[in-house]
Amino acid sequence: MTTVGGRDEVQRSDASQLRVVGRPLPRTDAAEKIAGSTRYAADLALPAMLHTRLVRSTLPSARLVRRDTARARSLAGVVAVLLGEDVPHNEVWVDVPGQQTEVRALKARSQVLATGRVRYHGQPIALVVAESEDVLAEAEALVDVEYEELPGVFDPEEALGEEAPRVHEDGNLLAEWHIDSGDAATALERAPIVIEGQYRTQFVDHAYLEPEAGVAWLDDDGVITIRASTQVVEHFRDIAAILGVPQARIRVIAPYVGGGFGGKEDMTVEPYLALAVLRTGRPVRMVWTRQESLLARPKRHPMRLRYRTGAENDGTLVAQDIEILADTGAEAYLGALVLLYSSVTAAGPYRCPNVRVRARAVYTNHPPCSAMRGFGAMQVVFGCEAQIDELARRLQLTPDEIRRRNAIREGDRLPVGQQIVTPIWLGETIDQVLRAAGPRPEPSRPHCRVGRGIASNLQPYGRLVWLQDTAAAWIGFQFDGSVTLRCGVPDIGGGQAASLGQIAAEVLGVDPARVTVHFGDSARTPLAGTSTATRQLYMSGNAAHLAATRLRDQTLDAVAEAAGRARGALRLGPGGVEGGGEPIALPRALELVRGLGVPLEVLATFHGPRGRAVARDLAAERVFPDFTVGTHLADVEVDCDTGQIRVVRYLACHDVGRAINPQSVSGQICGGAAMGIGSALTEEIVLESGINLTAGFFQYRIPTALDLPDIEAIALESGAGMGPFGARGIGEPPIGPPAATIANAVRDAIGVRLTELPMTPERVLAAIRAQAHTDPPRPAPTGP
Amino acid sequence: MIPASFDYRRAHDLDEATRWLGELGPEAKVLAGGHSLIPLMRLRLAQPSALVDIGRVPGLDTIRVDGDRLRIGALVRHAALARSEVVRRALPLLAEMAAEVGDQQVRARGTLGGVIAHADPAGDYPTLALMLDAEIVTTHGSHPARDFFQHLFTTPLQPDEVIREVTFPVAAGPHRYIKFRRRRCDWAIVGAAVQQSDGGWRLGLTNCGPTPMRARAAEAALAEGRTMAEAALQAAEGLTPPSDLRASSDYRRHLARVLTRRALEQAAA
Ligand SMILES: Cc1cc2nc3c(=O)[nH]c(=O)nc-3n(C[C@H](O)[C@H](O)[C@H](O)COP(=O)(O)OP(=O)(O)OC[C@H]3O[C@@H](n4cnc5c(N)ncnc54)[C@H](O)[C@@H]3O)c2cc1C
Repeated sequence: MTTVGGRDEVQRSDASQLRVVGRPLPRTDAAEKIAGSTRYAADLALPAMLHTRLVRSTLPSARLVRRDTARARSLAGVVAVLLGEDVPHNEVWVDVPGQQTEVRALKARSQVLATGRVRYHGQPIALVVAESEDVLAEAEALVDVEYEELPGVFDPEEALGEEAPRVHEDGNLLAEWHIDSGDAATALERAPIVIEGQYRTQFVDHAYLEPEAGVAWLDDDGVITIRASTQVVEHFRDIAAILGVPQARIRVIAPYVGGGFGGKEDMTVEPYLALAVLRTGRPVRMVWTRQESLLARPKRHPMRLRYRTGAENDGTLVAQDIEILADTGAEAYLGALVLLYSSVTAAGPYRCPNVRVRARAVYTNHPPCSAMRGFGAMQVVFGCEAQIDELARRLQLTPDEIRRRNAIREGDRLPVGQQIVTPIWLGETIDQVLRAAGPRPEPSRPHCRVGRGIASNLQPYGRLVWLQDTAAAWIGFQFDGSVTLRCGVPDIGGGQAASLGQIAAEVLGVDPARVTVHFGDSARTPLAGTSTATRQLYMSGNAAHLAATRLRDQTLDAVAEAAGRARGALRLGPGGVEGGGEPIALPRALELVRGLGVPLEVLATFHGPRGRAVARDLAAERVFPDFTVGTHLADVEVDCDTGQIRVVRYLACHDVGRAINPQSVSGQICGGAAMGIGSALTEEIVLESGINLTAGFFQYRIPTALDLPDIEAIALESGAGMGPFGARGIGEPPIGPPAATIANAVRDAIGVRLTELPMTPERVLAAIRAQAHTDPPRPAPTGP
Repeated sequence: MIPASFDYRRAHDLDEATRWLGELGPEAKVLAGGHSLIPLMRLRLAQPSALVDIGRVPGLDTIRVDGDRLRIGALVRHAALARSEVVRRALPLLAEMAAEVGDQQVRARGTLGGVIAHADPAGDYPTLALMLDAEIVTTHGSHPARDFFQHLFTTPLQPDEVIREVTFPVAAGPHRYIKFRRRRCDWAIVGAAVQQSDGGWRLGLTNCGPTPMRARAAEAALAEGRTMAEAALQAAEGLTPPSDLRASSDYRRHLARVLTRRALEQAAA
């Protein structure tokens, strides 16, 4: 069903020596997940454990006139009901970097439990703690909340108006970014060809299998210990701030996470669990229902995109003028940064000398929007790649040809000013998908048309350079030669832990089964930073690689000395210490090392590239460490009478640098593409005056396995990434192209450009009809 | 979510079930496959005080042909209908519908009686029952299908009345059911069923109103020798289907026409 191919095309230079890295090893966590025996965050029952539940606002914008917990507290089995006033520090502040001057909000404030007013449907107001889950439901209904409805604002354009109700006191503009590279206005005036378009993307939910969940307890050491489904164990600091306790007294453990996709990058259950432990001293558990998760967790930002693209007659891009308006909902969270990613990537993976970007993120009384796989770099692909496609049509070039002509290469600069400093195989990904796709399919019925589309993208991996990112890993040999690796990475299902083990095994010459990885514990594993931003393989992978390399070197140094062998001849391999004579079995070699008093362990920290914070006017030598590019191809069949789109064939190709575990890489590519197809075709959080109408899977429709085409993943290995062994990040990149790929294929099939997501049959049909009224007969398809 | 608490009783026969239902009053509900009732309870959209489980009542899962009627026990599950040789010979359209109900899990548990009793306008069998003049046989007597689907989720069933079986006319002629949906295992956004029977066409529509619809005007148009395209227009004429998150009323009306025509053409082909 899926293939990781293209390797024959690739020079694997130093890779030919690799023993463990590059092999599709079964993931260490796979079998137990399939068997259903993995214990996720809340799959832990503790003696005398209490249960908790949030009371959430039923209105999107209201003053809280009265919050009365008396009736709920008097219910048998209710242990406590907490309001904002009961939270030691009820305000959480979020930095909005780069916005010091132009926008008032230096920092964005949100409340753990709302006190004065609520700003979105589903906002937490009270925390109920009870002896059983049964009691919770009843108690929730007994918390009396009286609202005075306030006017809300539900459209980002309206929110910018002078008269618009203010979501936060200091105005509705959360963040604004500008890019001015060259002179886009003049270049557009002079360009022989100019394409214009407006595009809209929708609210999307992460829809992970495991909802927000966790348990917490006061441990023997007096530390409030929170076992939560999270991408960020470092939130222990924020939790400490809320509770007003020393940071050292909070510990966050992240066991295997049943899906994060950015939705568990901000805190979810953690502060509530901690508050309940602080209040009661007893173990507590919190599991959000699917309804809560869909209702109130941050979503993907809906964006309104306006593009103007100018080109020479030969297809060379000369200018792009891009406006982005993002609905950031009612809370800041990571909205400003999401928008920054959009701004930096909006012009696509192309060389273009004149680019102007104006991007704004605006508060509304919608659910907050924050991180979601792609992190703002996804939505813009829908706009940019539609433009490139239309440009190709106008110039009668094939879509692949126009992309090849403009494809970004090593040495080119992005509009923001950052230079691409590694070989980056965009052109190759285009060639690959076309070669693998073969001939176009035929329509299966007379009322159907088929079409083919491609789209390319670029996605940063690694965090913004001014965050001075680091990751640490500790690695040690046990006396018997088995290996312990400790690294604070949360494993969110991407095989993060297993890949680290594979890297360590490679460097230390041991069987991967002999490596045990301890991960995701803020107190007991070295901090490795967030499992976000497609950074873990890059950052923690490098940390593990560094630690393992140092351990290898210090071990071999010691063996050389103790055994009197030439250091240069020694290496670690399956036989233990090899070279310069008979192999020395590892346990014996380690005995020699210990005999010299040399430690069997190393703690190493990897530093990402550092840089300075940006200002509103973005211009920087470096914003991100590096980028991953890719190209997807779809063959679609459109039913012209119903508007139904069927994806017949789907290929996704990325330059992954190096596939540490090709199976995991393929999983990421297929999963990202599947998720992207879902938001292209069916998924949408629908809000009516701020009320969420899609708080259940009956309403919020994610595609099932039966609804998806087989996705063919193609990993190209340029070996040129900044991760270990030349790897690039691949967690987020594959979600970028699908919507544009499918829209381009639909355009090819029926001559109609879909500009709004999701591309429902009804929208397709409306577009077909609108065109029938206005346009001359369409030209023959000119797809790749 | 967890349902509110309720009483649970498992009936051994239908007499016991009706007696208990009578005692427990109108807040009690029959439980068959549970694939409509339990989801509603979990969302607390239904909070019955008690469930009387008829799932193990013997004799309600039979399928047989009796003269020109196909008689199907209330507890026959979707998967059994889809598989049944008897159904495939006597009323293949029903077997084809059954194979497309929900997903595999739903087909393994959900029952024909449950779908009929639930009277969801998006249910598939009610359309067939209505257009073919099925009879719904209960503990209390018998209801012709045309009197049975009164409104959204509304039937003439009394609180203590249980469906025993549903009888359809045998009809093995040209037929087709087209169920339009955006995901493979979803309910119909709109469904169009056509069946040739006694030399004429019977036409039905799923999810185009508060109840299943029979497209009588279109049937008449075909009987008068009008084209399938014209009949399809007739079928959609005057419909006022609901608008919801999945489709607007206009779009549903459009689908009713497109699907009716396709179903007719494919059945005739
Ligand atoms: C994901 C999903 C997808 C689905 N898709 C479809 C679909 O595409 N098409 C479709 O038609 N259905 C679909 N269904 C519904 C499914 O077919 C149910 O099985 C059916 O609606 C109800 O049958 P049941 O046996 O499960 O009834 P239950 O859920 O047990 O009962 C439903 C109602 O009928 C009453 N009832 C049940 N049996 C009797 C009886 N013998 N006498 C009197 N009252 C009775 C109950 O009291 C209750 O009110 C879907 C369900 C799910 C969960």
